[in-house]
Amino acid sequence: CMSGGDNDVDVLALAAETDPPDVLYNQGLANLEGGRLGEASKKFEAIDRQHPYTEWARKALIMQAFASYRGGNYDDAETAAKRYIALYPDSDDAAYAEYIVGLSHYRQIPDVTRDQKQAAYTATAMRALMERFPDTAYAEDAKSKLRIARDQLAGKEMLVGRYYLERRDYLAAINRFKNVVDVYPDTRQVEEALARLTESYYAMGLIREAQASASVLGQNFPDSPWYHDSYTLLKGHGLEPREGASGSWFAEATKKITGAS
Amino acid sequence: TSLTIQLASTGVAAAAVVNRIAVRGNKRVDADTVRGFISIKPGQNVTDADQDAAVRRLYSTGLFSNVRISQSGGTLTIDVEENQIVNQVLFQGNSKIKDQQLSAAVQTRPRGAYSQQVVDADVEEIKKAYVSIGRSDAVVTAQTQPIGEGRVNVIYNIQEGDRTKIGSISFVGNNAFSDARLKQVISLRETGILSFIQRDDVYDPDKLQSDEETLRRFYYNHGYADFRILSAVAELDPDQNSYFITFTVDEGERYAFGNVRIDSTIEGVDTEALYSQLDTTPGEVYSAKDVEDSLVNVTNALANKGFAFAQVTPRGDRDFTNHTIAIDYVIDQGPRAYIERIEIRGNTKTRDYVIRREFDISEGDAFNQVLIQRAKQRLEDLKYFTTVKISTAPGSEPDRVIVIVDVNEKATGEISIGGGYTTSGDSSGPVAEVGIQERNFLGRGQFIKVSAGVGTNSRSYQLSFTEPYFLGQRLAAGFDVYHTETSTDDYDVKRTGGDVRLSAPITEHLTATIAYNYKQESYGGDTGQTVENPDYPTDPDQYIDSTCSNPDPKSNLFDEGGNPLTAPSFTDSPIINEAICAGDYRTSSASYQFTYNTLDNNQDPRNGFVGSIGQEFAGIGGDAKYIKSTAKASYFNLLSEEWDVVGQLSGGAGNVSALGGDLRVFDNFFKGQDIVRGFDTRGIGPRQYGVAIGGENYANASAEATFPLPGINRDLGFRGAVFADAGSLWGSEFANEAGVEGTDFSLRASVGVGLIWASPFGPLRVNYAHPLKKEEFDDTQEFSFGFSSRF
Amino acid sequence: CTTQEVLNQGYIVDPKSLELVPPGSSKEQVLLALGSPSTKATFDNEVFYYISQKRVRPVAFLQPHLVDQRVLAVYFNKDDRVERIADYGLKDGRVFDFISRTTPTGGKDASFLGQVLSDTVSDTGGPTSLF
Repeated sequence: CMSGGDNDVDVLALAAETDPPDVLYNQGLANLEGGRLGEASKKFEAIDRQHPYTEWARKALIMQAFASYRGGNYDDAETAAKRYIALYPDSDDAAYAEYIVGLSHYRQIPDVTRDQKQAAYTATAMRALMERFPDTAYAEDAKSKLRIARDQLAGKEMLVGRYYLERRDYLAAINRFKNVVDVYPDTRQVEEALARLTESYYAMGLIREAQASASVLGQNFPDSPWYHDSYTLLKGHGLEPREGASGSWFAEATKKITGAS
Repeated sequence: TSLTIQLASTGVAAAAVVNRIAVRGNKRVDADTVRGFISIKPGQNVTDADQDAAVRRLYSTGLFSNVRISQSGGTLTIDVEENQIVNQVLFQGNSKIKDQQLSAAVQTRPRGAYSQQVVDADVEEIKKAYVSIGRSDAVVTAQTQPIGEGRVNVIYNIQEGDRTKIGSISFVGNNAFSDARLKQVISLRETGILSFIQRDDVYDPDKLQSDEETLRRFYYNHGYADFRILSAVAELDPDQNSYFITFTVDEGERYAFGNVRIDSTIEGVDTEALYSQLDTTPGEVYSAKDVEDSLVNVTNALANKGFAFAQVTPRGDRDFTNHTIAIDYVIDQGPRAYIERIEIRGNTKTRDYVIRREFDISEGDAFNQVLIQRAKQRLEDLKYFTTVKISTAPGSEPDRVIVIVDVNEKATGEISIGGGYTTSGDSSGPVAEVGIQERNFLGRGQFIKVSAGVGTNSRSYQLSFTEPYFLGQRLAAGFDVYHTETSTDDYDVKRTGGDVRLSAPITEHLTATIAYNYKQESYGGDTGQTVENPDYPTDPDQYIDSTCSNPDPKSNLFDEGGNPLTAPSFTDSPIINEAICAGDYRTSSASYQFTYNTLDNNQDPRNGFVGSIGQEFAGIGGDAKYIKSTAKASYFNLLSEEWDVVGQLSGGAGNVSALGGDLRVFDNFFKGQDIVRGFDTRGIGPRQYGVAIGGENYANASAEATFPLPGINRDLGFRGAVFADAGSLWGSEFANEAGVEGTDFSLRASVGVGLIWASPFGPLRVNYAHPLKKEEFDDTQEFSFGFSSRF
Repeated sequence: CTTQEVLNQGYIVDPKSLELVPPGSSKEQVLLALGSPSTKATFDNEVFYYISQKRVRPVAFLQPHLVDQRVLAVYFNKDDRVERIADYGLKDGRVFDFISRTTPTGGKDASFLGQVLSDTVSDTGGPTSLF
């Protein structure tokens, strides 16, 4: 009476199929070595299904996350890793699970002209990893991935800033560039942000502001091509970069960049 | 003191240091895993709060039906009773809804805990899923199948039953509009023959509710400001397995607009000038849409004059005696809010600037709802997105707002395979076309299309590309390249060419296009024809060639007019034959065109006007030297709202005149079925010995009315048409050549009927037209048939 | 009917409210009268900028070009009182070409070439405790 339906397997057959977990685990590892990532995932998944919540299941879960990540299906990798963190928060592989989550997002970061939500997810995941597991081997690489993700987010701000600058929409451009200096002072984009600020202020005729942003750029990145361009821009019109007083936003920005504060 | 010690000790004992954690009652879950779940570690002193937290934590994993923690001396014992674990969730007997969708709908998960209430809830959930696809009588039962070690398989058995139909939709209390007309307005349909394709006869409470809303808007837009829906009921008749839907409505009175005023609380607003922006004219039938359009226009005009924060609210007061509504548009100062940032989300393929450039407002500008609405409309018109949602979030300051643009993209690439049958154009007969098209190339908003078409005797290849924002301006620049080969039974033609075009919207309705076009035509002249050898009239394999260079080798061939042959007789007309022998012919021309379009819908217009006028100057290099001017226009009007009859008046005219030197015969217009139905493709105009040689001027006019076929359910997409065409093609340089006739103006006219079917596979049109006035040398073709499908 | 369209962008200047903030008025008065500034900068002390631009789009397809630009700079003194208000017009602006170079960014580009970010994950290997 249970005929019909597209993939109906004989229910009873399913019950018999349980292999010892260690056998499955080693098959999984062998497949992983052999590069047959799909097969490896299936084996680890079988352990998790047939022997749920055992020690083998725990090891299988993290391996499944690793195999899916290596195989490039980042969503499965992320779900498996997140399940691992939920079930075994303080086991020794929790750090690696957090790392897999970060890496899965990291791999999906598109170029700056498109939605950067993956870069944002990468940043949150890597920051969480560094806070909860500061001294694991992954913290080091997480730091560099965090910086790259933040640089990507800053790059997006710069792109939109340049879009408005091209159309001489100075107000919109200035706010975007200032946002980069305020929120992402530790990324490579900050040099260009300061140079663009100099250009925007100067184009609007706010000379003192242009000088101040050029001087912040000069102080922090004296040999940067951006400072060179801003300098020539201002010098060309008889004005050297002049730093605002110590309490100024610009001084504030310098402290942020140099991390003195 | 012992009491206190004793108390203290029990107190202390309660908070004694734990040095061992024992786990009891776990059959399948490892002790370490259980220890891993709770935060209590050996060597830590455990308070009651810690124990409670551990118990809660263990319950939250869903693995245990019962948890008890007790402590004696240094050991903490955790007693657990394990839940049964779900090993596999299976669905049996489902074919209309796939397993994947069902497993998303149910709560029970593989590896999750098994609980009877959750399974019962799942059964209800599956039933609901079937109701939503129109199978309200589906039967769902759950079955569990233990497979040892506390693990169980959950199987849902489903009998899907058959489709629940909509027996009938009826209206009570409607006298302004007939049931048939109202059925057209709502989205729910009665079950018909084609329902299995369109699937619009599936009853669903949300659809009923949205239909109520559509009905309200329909009546509000047609003057019935007091319209109310008393009830909208859908009864299910189980044994017929179909729904019977009844709308009971109270239409109320039909209102017209009373007098219309504009008042402003902001000084400096010139209200007089704003009256021109209003769509609501006194005396006209009341329509909610007109009021909304007027609001947008007035707000827009105010924004233009610098009143960026002006807000317009309409106040209507009804005059019950003579059924008019007076509208007073009140302008007052809205909140001074500025846009802080425009966040664009969801564009995983489209580039940021392609979306941002559609906004006339930028960050830092005054928040203006009208301009945001216009940007939303522009984004939707791009057809790159299934949905464009624009929302606002509070900014960093009270008067700052963040505009959030959420788009979700749809596949803009299409591989289209089209088929069709046409009786018009040079290559009548079946036509097939294959094309690859991408409307959002690399997310840059560019359009690119490559297509190849093949007919019984024609082949065509085409590549076209367009950049909508050339040099950052709203100029659509692009180019096309094509190659076509058509071989009619007389001669074959190869055309290769291309154009570079630039088109720009002058106003919302008027667009201007300029283009440079290059075309190289070659007529299959050199092969010539094989003719009998006069010396051996009876010998079948003795043939000689009559070619362009030597048309009459044995000087024994004569044309229709009895004169010696000047070119191989591809056709009966020496003029055409000589033109074919003229060999390759290059046309290099510049052209411009103005198009004015106010149609309400480009595919299926009911109201509005579309017209274009343009000229082409050939002679910038190349062989052709002429000025070709053409113009055409169509006006659509919904003659009867009740019977949905659409009237169409259209007309056209054209002239081609040589620029120094004479005009090549192929540069003439070749007209026929395309301007007066009932004639062959090149059926009318100047001829030589019955072969069309085209004309320098043409003019045509046509009147047509289309209407839904009475007696046939309107949803099947059938429409009838009656039409009358008239037109003529006249004027030719070859007027006084031998055998030429029909070069002066003479009106051809025809009347006819047509059948239009907007079938699910593509539009189809069959026409039967009977020529009333024609010249005896015209070629007629009463029956024409056009069908094209793209799937 | 003119096809010309006027776009008033940025801060909408309301001449009446300007009189409410003579020199000496407090920062709160400025915020109340003029609203929050388009952008801020601090020199010796804070400066509020109210930036407005007027653009005209002669014909629907052309990009609107700048016809008027006004920057109201409100300079505050040490104790946050309005020192002076400067009014920069379009004529104060300078026109020059912006630097064309851009700082490189990463991410998979949609183009068929697809420049992928340099991958440094391979050297840290898999999870330590598993092999």
